[in-house]
Amino acid sequence: MTADLLLLQLLTGIALGSIFVLLALGLSLIFGMLTVVNFAHGAFYMVGAYVGVYLYGLTGNFWVSVVAAPLCIAAMGLITERFLIRPLYGRGIDYPLLLTFGLSYIFVEAIRMIFGLAGLPFGTPVGLRGAVNVGVGYFPYYRLFLMAFTAAITLAIWLVVERTRFGLIVRAGARDPEIVRVLGVDISRIRLIVFGIGTGLAGLAGILAAPIQAVTPEMGIPALAEAFVVTVIGGMGSLAGAVVAGLLVGIVVAMTSLFVPAMAKASVFFLMALILLIRPRGLFGQTGLMD
Amino acid sequence: MATTLLQTEGLTKRFGHFVALDNVSVGFREGELAAVIGPNGAGKSTFFNVLSGSFPPTAGRLTFEGRDISGLPQHAFTRCGIAKSFQITNVFPNLPALENVRIAVQARYARLNIWTPRRKLTEVIDDAAALMEATGILPHARRTASSLAHGEQRALEIAMALASNPRLLLLDEPTAGMSPEETRAMMDLIARLARERTIILVEHKMKLVMGLCQRLIVLHHGQLLAVGTPEEIRAHPSVRRVYLGQRH
Amino acid sequence: MMAFGQTRKTLDASSTPGVWTPVNAFLKNNKALAAIVFLSIFPFLMPYEALAVKILVFGLYALGFNLLFGYTGMLSFGHAAFLGAGAYGAGMVIVHLRAPFLLAIAGGVSLAALVAVVMGLLSIRTRGIYFSMVTLALSQCIYYLIYNAESWTGGENGLRGINISTVGLLGIQINFLDPILRYYVIFVFVALALWFLARILASPFGAVLEAIRENEKRAAACGYNVASAKLLSFVLSGAFCGLAGALWAVHLSVVPIETVYYLTSGEAVIMCLLGGMGTYFGPFVGAAIYLLFEDVLTLQTSHWQLYLGILFVLCVLFFPRGVWGSLTDWTSRR
Repeated sequence: MTADLLLLQLLTGIALGSIFVLLALGLSLIFGMLTVVNFAHGAFYMVGAYVGVYLYGLTGNFWVSVVAAPLCIAAMGLITERFLIRPLYGRGIDYPLLLTFGLSYIFVEAIRMIFGLAGLPFGTPVGLRGAVNVGVGYFPYYRLFLMAFTAAITLAIWLVVERTRFGLIVRAGARDPEIVRVLGVDISRIRLIVFGIGTGLAGLAGILAAPIQAVTPEMGIPALAEAFVVTVIGGMGSLAGAVVAGLLVGIVVAMTSLFVPAMAKASVFFLMALILLIRPRGLFGQTGLMD
Repeated sequence: MATTLLQTEGLTKRFGHFVALDNVSVGFREGELAAVIGPNGAGKSTFFNVLSGSFPPTAGRLTFEGRDISGLPQHAFTRCGIAKSFQITNVFPNLPALENVRIAVQARYARLNIWTPRRKLTEVIDDAAALMEATGILPHARRTASSLAHGEQRALEIAMALASNPRLLLLDEPTAGMSPEETRAMMDLIARLARERTIILVEHKMKLVMGLCQRLIVLHHGQLLAVGTPEEIRAHPSVRRVYLGQRH
Repeated sequence: MMAFGQTRKTLDASSTPGVWTPVNAFLKNNKALAAIVFLSIFPFLMPYEALAVKILVFGLYALGFNLLFGYTGMLSFGHAAFLGAGAYGAGMVIVHLRAPFLLAIAGGVSLAALVAVVMGLLSIRTRGIYFSMVTLALSQCIYYLIYNAESWTGGENGLRGINISTVGLLGIQINFLDPILRYYVIFVFVALALWFLARILASPFGAVLEAIRENEKRAAACGYNVASAKLLSFVLSGAFCGLAGALWAVHLSVVPIETVYYLTSGEAVIMCLLGGMGTYFGPFVGAAIYLLFEDVLTLQTSHWQLYLGILFVLCVLFFPRGVWGSLTDWTSRR
């Protein structure tokens, strides 16, 4: 167990964590603004992967996939919010959760019907293959790309949330929807857009994960659980929390799989249970968000 | 000299950096009808919440009948003999009104009984019906609690508070949102109830408390400003200043 | 003390008398009896006995879950842990200890109750969404524990060899391999559970649970120790689900690892919502719908989950009271 190996594994953890960050950002945005726990988040992620892989098969251009797949998923998200979730506001916090839960079954089965049960084979796209010498060893180029791309998206989200009027409304709305409504802002439209962005991020995570993960109809199920873990650890509704926790969980999984491979997947759930019991609002979450 | 039923010593409540209550020390005598008053933001609601067990004080002590009850959970307050009604009506909305009161009464008799059919506990039902009659809402027994008019829901809350047979009754703005007739009815009810138990009100309708209460406790910016009879308070210079010449 | 006989009747009577009132009144006051009578003829209504057994078992599973969700208002996503604990508990007692049927059932229920105590103590303090998340996380922890304890549980391949051929009940030796007799053996336990559950729901404690669901703060202000009540509800719920798991293990002769996976927790949620949460018969109706869908539709298409998902979404949007709940609402107005 050399220091080089540890550092390489750390980088792997950060790459893995990047996917978690994108998933958790979407989930946290949706929860913060709509107070909806999106149980279909993993399904959107999976559909994003499928759409992206399919488009790559058509065009041979990965950039097309990376741009178009999230947009498709965002469109699906907009339709979902407008027609399925919006009627449920005011009915109690469980209903949108239950609805998205049922929706995930529909998505998974629909994909099975269209693309079959076995999954789509997908390797690293041309142009992003190979490995790079990062000083401590050779590291897959694609993973560096993944980390850089995620960082760019995260920065973009940060800029929008912190520096634009839209972002201001999102932040205000997360704290106090009533005030925002009283100030004459069309909260329905904001919710719609935020849901679209959140699911779009899930779709982006899906296509970016496709080269390093098996693209199957079931790939969203563990992804959902992991996204919850990250969001809870970071703090539901907190974007900073999503980023920090995403990277943290990625690193924990990568390091655990180096020392105790059997417990790699389990470790995140133990971590989540621990955080929920000691500090339920997560690392960056706010108290009273749930009561 | 009446005994002190409820005593606060240096009661302080902080929310983060905000100090809602600052070192409030006051005693409430057994059998009296007292009111906590003060301008908006004085800390009345926070004081009420600490007195009634909604949350613990950050510092200081709360004693009831000589026992330190600071920081005990809500249900312990009720079991000691302190009952409360909430500022915003807080009942079991989808259950019938009678069932609301019956559940409140049941807490005295059988809490974790998982075996006896509750229909058989007729004394519980009878007690509940009697309470509803005492508060004037028996005709509404079978209606869903959420379908009752505002004044009726407030009366329902009081019936539920009385269900635990409390020594001390805490009422948070009991006439909030009521019409003049409803307010009069409520004040009559409170006066009747005050004959048998100690009552502490939080109110900001000055006319009400002046005529009704024996003692007033005035809060301002979370601090105790003055304590005394309505006449003493009316003449108190600090109180007059704080209320900016408000006439009553 | 004045007699309030007329007022007492208030709590029993329905709002307006109609043609369905006698039926509804009978069902309300004799819940367990009605369910037991129906279930005693149930295997003759189903295409084959094994399906009837499956509905019986999962109906009980959904019923146990409903105690916590529909009545106490706590949405748990970790109930697979109790089903699994009951199944693995009973299975391990038979496979490793070579114990008889009754002891195995008792073992399964006890283990499930124990798991419920631990999970309950850890999760009761959280509320709302956090509670759902904690139960999900804790049950996944249990999943991984079971997955890795291969020598005891069979790990990934599940626990095998739970072979019971005869069951000794009240001195009689019953041939457990006969499908109809198997149904009735399992039915005896489910009937007992149904009766016990009906008593719990009709007891003062049942009212406390509903009070907690309606308004937790108010319940505490009435003088109820909400945390204790929630914990008791959690443990009772876990015990019922554990019984279902134990019966399932003995019926299947194996315990697949998927029993403890969180998707199985999701099945409880679906069944409850489909049938009607917070109603006595709803979970059974929901389980029947779900499993009939699976059984009947699988012959037509392998994509039955699509139609189930659509039905579920429709229920959430338009029939939040579920199939049974909506039916009782409709008949009580006629």
